[in-house]
Amino acid sequence: MSQAPKGPVAPLSPVLLAGLAVRPLPHQLLQPLLTTAIKQMQRQHPDVFERLTSVNSPRFLIDPVDLPFSFVMDTQPDHPSLELVKSDQNELEFHVRASVRGPLVLLIELLEGKIDGDALFFSRDLVIEGDTEAVLALRNAVDGADIQVHNDLLSLFGPLSKPVDLAAQVAGKLFNRFTRDLHILSSATLAPLQRKCDAQSAAIEDLEETVTALKKQLRRRSGKTT
Amino acid sequence: MKTQKLELVCPAGTPAALRAAVDAGADTVYCGFRDATNARNFPGLNFSRDELASGIDYAKAHGAQVLVALNTYPEAGNPAPWHQAVEDAADLGAHALIMADIGLLAYAAEKRPDTRRHLSVQASASNPAAINYYQETFDVKRVVLPRVLTVPEIKALNQEIDVETEVFVFGGLCVMAEGRCSLSSYATGQSPNINGVCSPASHVRYEDKGNKMVSKLGDFTINQFSQSEAAGYPTLCKGRFVTQDKASYLFEDPTSLNAAEFLPDLMEAGVTALKIEGRQRGKAYIAQVVAAFRKAADAAANNQPIPPLGLENITEGQRETTGAYNKRWQ
Repeated sequence: MSQAPKGPVAPLSPVLLAGLAVRPLPHQLLQPLLTTAIKQMQRQHPDVFERLTSVNSPRFLIDPVDLPFSFVMDTQPDHPSLELVKSDQNELEFHVRASVRGPLVLLIELLEGKIDGDALFFSRDLVIEGDTEAVLALRNAVDGADIQVHNDLLSLFGPLSKPVDLAAQVAGKLFNRFTRDLHILSSATLAPLQRKCDAQSAAIEDLEETVTALKKQLRRRSGKTT
Repeated sequence: MKTQKLELVCPAGTPAALRAAVDAGADTVYCGFRDATNARNFPGLNFSRDELASGIDYAKAHGAQVLVALNTYPEAGNPAPWHQAVEDAADLGAHALIMADIGLLAYAAEKRPDTRRHLSVQASASNPAAINYYQETFDVKRVVLPRVLTVPEIKALNQEIDVETEVFVFGGLCVMAEGRCSLSSYATGQSPNINGVCSPASHVRYEDKGNKMVSKLGDFTINQFSQSEAAGYPTLCKGRFVTQDKASYLFEDPTSLNAAEFLPDLMEAGVTALKIEGRQRGKAYIAQVVAAFRKAADAAANNQPIPPLGLENITEGQRETTGAYNKRWQ
């Protein structure tokens, strides 16, 4: 039996499908984009990396569970890096202090401070492992930085930023529509299964109560006989 | 006795969160320096002196005030960082200092008498004798009440004291021994009372065990959550323990306080200010909770029904309680 992937279940989303589409591409093609993005973040938000020096500038594994690859982020303030790695690679090879796992859209919203990290953790949409102090420092550092991924990336395009912005807005609308459609499809597909699961959960709960009652009876009886 | 308008006191762990609180309608924002002088001494959180100066400017420009929490107990033989924090906060124009330690209150009253003094919940002052002592001795202007009192008890208390009262209305709950709790010290050697950290993240571990997530604090397993179960903070008080073959929350459930429905009663009881917990939370939480309570406080002031707040998605364990305001235990 194969081991289940770590972290939250990947939602059926355009990100998941896009990830499958780019899976055959060599990582070398995507790596320059990541290098540019992290350098841009270093220029625009140096305070993020400065705040992380209080926990000795850790390396993190950032794992968008709906993509077939993950990122290793080194937070050294002078030369931060973001490296693309395969999701099925052995984590020990990355020498990270902690890992953060969740759907890509939620990770971006967390980066931008649009969503509360504790709330994501309570709802189990976000899973962390490793050095919790390092993750907390990262969360607090990015939350305080007013990062806006869209605007930060647009500034890379210089005079072309306006047409790129228009194209991104159209793509964003299509993305939202596609997300809604996939959600409808997913709900319709999973509804019968959900009903079965609910029934099984209720049955298990009944059984647990019965077992607890039986154990109590057993304890009482064994108490009387000793 | 009835208060005309309730002051909304909101948390901020970063400058961005402070701006979010002010923009969402906070009357006052409370925050702390980036050290052990405050009870949210978490990595990457809190304010440098420069950041506090900018934060105070921003708040004042928008008609709000900043309170500085210096609510830990100074380390024995080393009061200097706490004294310096009093001096710096007063110099930077803080509206008030929130303190618990009587030595620090005495220092602030003597050295910086013009800066208001508020008594922190960490002092756990919940009866007229204690509160009047703080008022007479240190000229405390406001007391933050522990989360142990019912609304009638708060009303009765307000009739016997001559200082403003501030009560918690939303956010995480502690076991009811604020300032005296030693559970974190027992498990990790660090406490909220002196080090400013309850269950410090450096001692917390989460382990993904496939079908369940296990949370650990120091050497203690605090909880294990199945895949579909909402999680809570990894503190001993919110641990799930097995007794009589059944795992349950013996001290406290992972749940958040939400006392919005009691705002009219709290006004009637003579409360001055409503406190929202959560300096450790992100600016998205701050913006959402402050905006919701701004509407609720305004509705209460205008004798209108309290609107639904829609905050369930950000509560601990995704559950809410009215806590001691509606006490159903002895």
